Amino acid sequence: MQEAKIKFDHVTKIFETRSQTITAVKDYSMEIQAGEFISILGPSGCGKSTLIRMLDGIIDTTEGDILIDGVKVNHKGKKMPSSVLRKLGFIFQQPNMLPWYTVRQNVALPLRVFGLKGPEWDNRVEELLEMVGLKEYADAHPNEISGGMLQRAGVIRAMVHDPEILLMDEPFGALDEMTREQMNMELLEIWEKTGKTIIFITHNIEEAVLLSSRVYVMGTNPGRLVETVTLDLPRPRKLSMITQKDFIEYRQLLESYIGEIDLSKIK
Amino acid sequence: MNMKKKVTSIVAPVVTFLLIFAIWEFACWFYKIDAWFLPKPSEIFRSMIVDFGEYWPHLLVTLQCVLTGFLIAIPVGLLLATLITSFPLLNAAMSPYITFLVTTPLVSLIPLLMLMMGYGMNMRITTVVIQSFAVINMNACTGFNNVPTLRRELMQSMGASRLQTYRMMILPSAATDIITGLRLAAIFATTTCISVEYNAGNTGLGSQIIKYSQYLQTTKSFACIFYVTVIGLIMYGLITLLQKKIVSWEE
Ligand SMILES: Nc1ncnc2c1ncn2[C@@H]1O[C@H](COP(=O)(O)OP(=O)(O)O)[C@@H](O)[C@H]1O
Ligand SMILES: [Mg+2]
Repeated sequence: MQEAKIKFDHVTKIFETRSQTITAVKDYSMEIQAGEFISILGPSGCGKSTLIRMLDGIIDTTEGDILIDGVKVNHKGKKMPSSVLRKLGFIFQQPNMLPWYTVRQNVALPLRVFGLKGPEWDNRVEELLEMVGLKEYADAHPNEISGGMLQRAGVIRAMVHDPEILLMDEPFGALDEMTREQMNMELLEIWEKTGKTIIFITHNIEEAVLLSSRVYVMGTNPGRLVETVTLDLPRPRKLSMITQKDFIEYRQLLESYIGEIDLSKIK
Repeated sequence: MNMKKKVTSIVAPVVTFLLIFAIWEFACWFYKIDAWFLPKPSEIFRSMIVDFGEYWPHLLVTLQCVLTGFLIAIPVGLLLATLITSFPLLNAAMSPYITFLVTTPLVSLIPLLMLMMGYGMNMRITTVVIQSFAVINMNACTGFNNVPTLRRELMQSMGASRLQTYRMMILPSAATDIITGLRLAAIFATTTCISVEYNAGNTGLGSQIIKYSQYLQTTKSFACIFYVTVIGLIMYGLITLLQKKIVSWEE
């Protein structure tokens, strides 16, 4: 069998604060193959962000290992090497643009940080701006464009250095319903075109079913993996599928898992 | 509408200005106040122009002292703030004393500095630097410490170096706070410079204000005070210019 693109091997994360010890993630394992689009679904506070932030080198693991292409990437207290970070693109819940740069400069920021120069990279910036319809706003500052456009800029900023893996932490959660649906379809198109491995975090069941091939359901207290559901739905996915029988059944199945979690919390 | 607002914002202060000086002028004339006690503003403005040759060298000395001190205080304050906020231990160790530096009137060091360095320009500039770098430092520290976590994580997610993070993200994030510090420091610098000149030497506008007051040449004293105001305005203008240039993304 092929080596997993991303592997979580019994990962635990414990936060020690002054007043308490929080087990944000407990004994979490999963394997993702190259080119897969998977979702992590769970109520807020179940450790979804913690999981993805460990993978992106923003925080350390407490126990267990994370491997990308078979290489252990969590070295306690040390910065993740640039060669690993270049394989990753992170999309935040907020656009998280730097207001003093134009849209184009924001999108090109990873190139500057990674030291990627040359006309081929400049062209890539322009192509990406074109792809998401931001070409004519490229010289605007972030405070001059809409929330939807900002989030698009966030998506292409994460892609500009051509990473193999996209990590998305509830990327469209702050957008209105219509914009979100549109962004979801655009994301699917990007994925189909580029074949990137995508980890998509959400607390929206419908979104998880619509986008991914597999859903990891998480529960709270402590944050942990509850269930893995493989979605046997045809591709390419379309918005119209939402009303079809298989889709609704998957949705109800996932709802039942999330519901159980809530019940266990009351107990 | 906008145009009207703009006109109002220029006209209103001018009217205030004219009104105050008109009342002052009228009161001096009506109550026949002696010029040595309170001169008429018209006399003061006349002296500012007619006796300009007398004030000019002192104006230059003061301006030089304020500007040089201020320009040295900026890198000193920023560098210190950068160092302090870059190392958590240093931050913890220094934080209480930064406030201490700002709240202590360091002008009280003037006699000591006079003793150590004499009456010259070096001593004056040193005093100005000491008094104004602390407030730059304090505001820069606030700015550096209040950088949004999400922006830090953005830089971290790309593995940005310390220098890259500082240049691309931390410094611009703190720009507004830093400018606030500069504004306060400019006031501190002018005030300190005049205080030193009151005490040390016989050059600079401060020394002239004292001299003319002692000779009861109150009109000239006031003329010098007005020139100090002019220096204050110059400093204010410089910083506003800087602000427009640096934080242009915040309309
Ligand atoms: N830096 C931190 N320090 C202490 N506790 C944290 C920290 N980050 C997250 N937590 C806690 O860990 C738990 C999981 O948080 P998070 O991963 O953000 O959840 P989610 O993204 O699923 O909403 C929460 O209880 C949160 O309060
Ligand atoms: Mg989260």
